[in-house]
Amino acid sequence: MAPPTPSHRPRKKGKFSTTPGSNNNLIVDTGDGKSSPAFPLVSFLWAARAGVSQWLILPLTLMAVGLFRWAVSLWGYSGFQVPPMHGDFEAQRHWMELTTHLPMFQWYLFDLQYWGLDYPPLTAYHSWLLGKIGSAVDPAWFALNDSRGFEDPHLKVYMRATVVVSEYLIYIPAIVNFLRRYTRMQGVHAWSSSIALVAVLMQPATILIDHGHFQYNTVMLGLVVASLDAILAGRMLWACIFFVGALGFKQMALYYAPVMFAYLLGVCVFPRIRVLRLINISLVTVAAFALLFAPLTIGATDAEARKALASAPQPPMLQALQISVEKNSVVYALLFQLAQTIHRVFPFARGLFEDKVANAWCAIHTFYKLTRFDTSLLQWASLGATLASITVPCGIIFRHPRASLLLPALSCVSWGFFLFSFQVHEKSVLLPLLPMTLLLAGDGGLSKENRAWVGWANVLGSWTMYPLLKREELRVPYFVMTLLWAYLLGLPPTSFETYRSRGTSEGSSPHFEPYLLTKIVHFGFYIAMIVWHILEAFVVPPASKPDLWFVLNALIGAGGFGIAYLWCMWKLVTQCRRIDRRAAEEDSRKKKQ
Amino acid sequence: MITRSSTEITDTGDDASSDPPNHDSDHAESSFLGNGSGGRGNVKEVMQLDTIKNSMADSNIQAPMAELYPSLAQCAIVAAALKVLLFPAYKSTDFEVHRNWLAITNSLPVQEWYYEKTSEWTLDYPPFFAAFEWILSQAASYADPAMLVVKNIGYDSWQTIYFQRTTVILTELVLVYALSRFVRPVPLPNKQAAHVASLSILLSPGLFIIDHIHFQYNGAMYGILILSIVLARKQSTLLYSGILFAVLLCMKHIYLYLSLAYFVYLLRAYCLDPKSVLRPRFGNTIKLGVSVLSVFAIAFGPFAQWGQLLQLKDRLFPFSRGLCHAYWAPNVWAMYSFTDRVLIPFAPRLGLSVNQDALNSVTRGLVGDTSFAILPEVTKEQTFLLTFIFQLIPLVKLWFRPDWDTFVGAITLCGYASFLFGWHVHEKAVLLIIIPFSLIALKDRRFFSAFRPLAVAGHVSLFPLLFTAAEFPLKTVYTVLWLVLFLFVFDRVAPVPERPRIFVFDRFSLLYLTISIPLIVYCSLVHQVIFGFDRLQFLPLMFMSSYSALGVLGSWVGFMVVYFTA
Repeated sequence: MAPPTPSHRPRKKGKFSTTPGSNNNLIVDTGDGKSSPAFPLVSFLWAARAGVSQWLILPLTLMAVGLFRWAVSLWGYSGFQVPPMHGDFEAQRHWMELTTHLPMFQWYLFDLQYWGLDYPPLTAYHSWLLGKIGSAVDPAWFALNDSRGFEDPHLKVYMRATVVVSEYLIYIPAIVNFLRRYTRMQGVHAWSSSIALVAVLMQPATILIDHGHFQYNTVMLGLVVASLDAILAGRMLWACIFFVGALGFKQMALYYAPVMFAYLLGVCVFPRIRVLRLINISLVTVAAFALLFAPLTIGATDAEARKALASAPQPPMLQALQISVEKNSVVYALLFQLAQTIHRVFPFARGLFEDKVANAWCAIHTFYKLTRFDTSLLQWASLGATLASITVPCGIIFRHPRASLLLPALSCVSWGFFLFSFQVHEKSVLLPLLPMTLLLAGDGGLSKENRAWVGWANVLGSWTMYPLLKREELRVPYFVMTLLWAYLLGLPPTSFETYRSRGTSEGSSPHFEPYLLTKIVHFGFYIAMIVWHILEAFVVPPASKPDLWFVLNALIGAGGFGIAYLWCMWKLVTQCRRIDRRAAEEDSRKKKQ
Repeated sequence: MITRSSTEITDTGDDASSDPPNHDSDHAESSFLGNGSGGRGNVKEVMQLDTIKNSMADSNIQAPMAELYPSLAQCAIVAAALKVLLFPAYKSTDFEVHRNWLAITNSLPVQEWYYEKTSEWTLDYPPFFAAFEWILSQAASYADPAMLVVKNIGYDSWQTIYFQRTTVILTELVLVYALSRFVRPVPLPNKQAAHVASLSILLSPGLFIIDHIHFQYNGAMYGILILSIVLARKQSTLLYSGILFAVLLCMKHIYLYLSLAYFVYLLRAYCLDPKSVLRPRFGNTIKLGVSVLSVFAIAFGPFAQWGQLLQLKDRLFPFSRGLCHAYWAPNVWAMYSFTDRVLIPFAPRLGLSVNQDALNSVTRGLVGDTSFAILPEVTKEQTFLLTFIFQLIPLVKLWFRPDWDTFVGAITLCGYASFLFGWHVHEKAVLLIIIPFSLIALKDRRFFSAFRPLAVAGHVSLFPLLFTAAEFPLKTVYTVLWLVLFLFVFDRVAPVPERPRIFVFDRFSLLYLTISIPLIVYCSLVHQVIFGFDRLQFLPLMFMSSYSALGVLGSWVGFMVVYFTA
């Protein structure tokens, strides 16, 4: 870990003048002695530069971002008025229905054809809690079997409220705490930190998916951030527990798992091997998993459940294991329940990708049909490519287990997963976007270069979800939230200020100005996105290729995400080298003394 | 930033040539001069303070400039983003009212506008607003021609919603323009206060709730009002101020409530000589008279020609309504009704006679029949008389001291009088007080402490307008956000007054603010938990409006004191 030690603080001060938010270029010198905010978000927090308590700024921020969340939630949701299957909203509602009405052993078995539960146990418990509360308000919302496809406006308000409340109980405290600790560690001014907080909380993609499309991603993301916060605080065991929680809420958190694993392993090995820590970490992780599955498995051990499970069709994993256990025994019930949960959570049987996703496979498929290959071959290829893409960042984080490298490593690895792994949804783009957006809070995080990249990736991310959002009549929120994000951060298409080089009052170093290559790449993508929107809106694709625009969207998106992957990798490597160099300097200075 | 000493926001606001006519009394003259020099001293002091603050904060910001960030435009953009997201939100019958007017003005000849009654929401705004709807309807035909059909009652295709909601957001640009005109000429030491006040109006929860969810065009209307008030700041544009106000009256006649203040001010400051009341300025009088009369002639002339004036009168002033609106607006009559209700159980013990009709009446005060069980009935004439008397009192001062600050104060007090004592007052009319008051609320801390309870009560009293579950978080969070933000910023920006403050009012407003929190919690949550959604529904409403009435009344008394001692 690299908290700025007192020894090199003065040096830093000498290098960059004492300004709020070192290297962040928040204030622009207009030349006539006046200073002005560098981008609109700064000007909204202009009055908070000094002498305003966090006790005021934080509630105001949370209220303001809450308003935008709730306003987005007034719009349509996934599967609204689309019988018979509806969409994610109905899936979540259905899980509340089945968890509140059925005994636990049936949760992962009940009518799998109609939105059978396929998220890990924590989601099931979460659904159970929300279902119980909701049934207390109006039992009709979650009546067993009768409530399928129920679309009462009050139910919508309740469901929307559960997303907001879950987010405000988990995601937002985690983000606030994480940013506080992270900015302090990076030596960033509190003002800068407030700005970064607003930016992170206004991420368009997350708001659109959770509050528009309808999902509970922020719970999982919040647990991941809580885990990162625990790491920054040096509480590794809590980090394990939170991360297991994230995995137990949504299996997508696996995108982050390699980095977390490499990091936790790394801190046990470097700079010296600490066996006790390793044992503690593994024990706590196992215990957390045990705790996670405990209610579910214990629920499967009573006589009635055993009888029911004994006659149920075996999950494939249990068949593969071929263990001979008495079918009516407790052990069999436990194994069955575990295997069935895992079978439901990891749908290996599905294809390489669904729909049009902006990842490598879909892009390759456009030019070279991948359907000609055997599924298992594709699975191996996907596994190989994913592993190849994550080896370098995982290796770095294992060798240099520093908390400040976690964010670039996490974004890099999750981009790798998004691009190359199996069964990727367009919504999975939220995972790489979160750690990447959190980079805004770091040293130089709000500098033009960094802001340009993070902002661009977010705009591109929500742009690739446009086909999905359009289907759900979320076009207006999409345009409003994405353009608002671009506007607040001073990015195209609302402003070109970020890409213009000019003197700032902070004596910025060239390192934080956008490079020429950055400008070319970004402008190319912004123009492509705008042109695409115009084409999509006004030009009918040729009859032979009705999906032309969506394919084009996925192609451009895949290219952009590939670049984002490379940028995160570059960021990781340069940061790692800078820290190494600094550490080496420290060492040599100590030796001299 | 905290400005330690008092400078008035506006009286140093204009270059010397354009001062509001500063009249005979040497008291005022000297006070003005005194202020001027004092003002300059203050500039220095403020700058010093600022410099110290900034240098403490960070060495890099040397410029002690008034910091006008975020700018009006930036706030307007972000607010517009939120407002666009509210397109699918709840909309009241006013949405259908305005759609119907679009249809009427678009498809019927002008002669029939005020006779058409296919829909129950007949045209009951003055002709210029009808013309405004006609202009909008020209664009509406591109969005969805079906909304322009008079027979399509209750038509709300998404194109109609998008179109109408968009016009509200776009016409609000008038308000943005007016506010920028308000801030621009204010000199530096007070510029920040003016800027903050203008932001508070732009982001007002009143406009947010009434215009962008409930649906009306108040943003544009108040934009015209503010523009007219701003034009009244300079002698050279006083005429335009008068004309603009006449135009406004021909758009929405609710502003008649403020017209006495305009009348007195224009008469005294424009038509009479500033030195002597006895010397009229005939040139000015003729100019003003002719232009105002021609505005009214353009608006009502054609209808007079067709002999429709009586019909217009019936449409614009429907006197068949009751004393209180369905939800009691927080005024004196709400407290009167509250007292009446409270007295019912005690009536036998006190030996009062109970009017059984009122007890059983379902409509209670909604329609102009019996509404009070114990207290005597209130007639229209009585309410008019009270309104008139309480409008006259501040106007006396305006007559003797016709400067801009007093003028805005008088407008505010006219708004107060008509809101508190008027017949069938709508809770929405509270903006008539809040918005002019915002312009001078930062004059000094005494003004601000009178403003504070009004800001809370006035906005909270708008909550019953939106009763749907989905809009509950919007109205409460937005209002609380606004109150916390602006009451805090106002508190920092408002200068310390020259005269000592009245201790009691400060305590009153603090106590008042504290009560609001448990009350809102009770009315929006606890009540439903205890009694369910159906029983005793009137109770929270009654509590809210009585509480708000207390706040509005208290702030009125407080402001009266401040106004007469300023």
